[in-house]
Amino acid sequence: MKILALVGSYRKNGNSDIVAKEALMGAQEAGAEVELLHLTDYKIEACQGFGLCLFRKEGCHIKDDVKFIWSRIEEADGIILSVPCYFLESTAVLKQLIDRAWVLAHRGTFRGKYASVMVPYATRGWIPYAMLQPNIFFGILGFNVIHREAFNVQGLGEAVHDEAAIEKAHRVGNELARAVREKDPTYRSEAGLCPICQDWNIRILKDRKAVECPTCGIRGVLKTRNGQIEVVFDEGTLADYRFDPVTGYNHFTYHIKPSKDYFLRTKDERKARGARYKAYLKQEG
Amino acid sequence: MIEKYTAHLRYYPGDPLREIRLEDLDRISKAYGVAVAFQKIDNRTLSEGMLKEETLDKTIEEITQEVITVSSDDEKRFREAVAVLYETYRAPRTPYGFWGSSRDGGRIAKAMADETGGGW
Repeated sequence: MKILALVGSYRKNGNSDIVAKEALMGAQEAGAEVELLHLTDYKIEACQGFGLCLFRKEGCHIKDDVKFIWSRIEEADGIILSVPCYFLESTAVLKQLIDRAWVLAHRGTFRGKYASVMVPYATRGWIPYAMLQPNIFFGILGFNVIHREAFNVQGLGEAVHDEAAIEKAHRVGNELARAVREKDPTYRSEAGLCPICQDWNIRILKDRKAVECPTCGIRGVLKTRNGQIEVVFDEGTLADYRFDPVTGYNHFTYHIKPSKDYFLRTKDERKARGARYKAYLKQEG
Repeated sequence: MIEKYTAHLRYYPGDPLREIRLEDLDRISKAYGVAVAFQKIDNRTLSEGMLKEETLDKTIEEITQEVITVSSDDEKRFREAVAVLYETYRAPRTPYGFWGSSRDGGRIAKAMADETGGGW
């Protein structure tokens, strides 16, 4: 059994590194073989949006280190993602990787693997979207996420002062390894509002009647009970959450692929209308 | 003859928030005084426990979908009917989800999808 830690921070021996390593120690205790990759050590180019990767057997055409990262993930049974929150959400390296993961989303390459998320952050109230990118990443890859934990630590390497944080990181790694071994996807962290991604963000739809989890796309209504706000999700939409394999298949099959026909039908009109933009601010020479 | 305001609302598998039922469409047609037609196309086959279909080289019209066509010469009634259809099923989700609509009907239906129907 192998547990791989992916660290989304440029700072070696920083807090993300420390909690990831402590988690790996916990995983080792549970009998796991471990590995750690700093995502910032690798060349991860931006997705170019061609979409051809979705139709080619060989996948993405970009020559960088992303295929290597996928190969390490493929070899692992469980992933610890330790990614700091600098400005309201994850660091950019994770988003860069997410965009490149699109090709895998529709193939289900990693579906059923296990993951734990750890987010070191500095200031309470400045991390509303900290779990968004980790949820998207593991959602599209089809992982069972069993922890989402935040660590309130600030300066470089300060996590070592916080015994509770270290203990929590150790427990996360240990529980992840045991979950993999026992094939037990039970969620271990505190439950959130969304029963799927466990996040606390809710989007009010423009009709001002319904709300949805912006990550999972499940809908519901807001209610108040005993002075507390509740979100009552529509049972019917739970099965159609964004990262469900059938939803993903339908999205790919009916929202993406038929755009080819639309693209071809509108080609002449697009060419005529697009000419002014091609000419605008065109560099000479 | 196509009426001035005609919109084809194309819903693909998983798009409608609830089952599209003829009796509900009939009720909307009568309540708002507009013509509402419905077409269901299903070309999926069961494979590996899932309903599947190859759509890359097919036309927008022939792939599996449910198409609600709402028509009227009266803009106000047309808008009211589209609004209730969006509230019931949500708005079509792709740029080609209005393909085949009349110019005015398609323009209004698409703008309304941004205004209501959950927004973007």
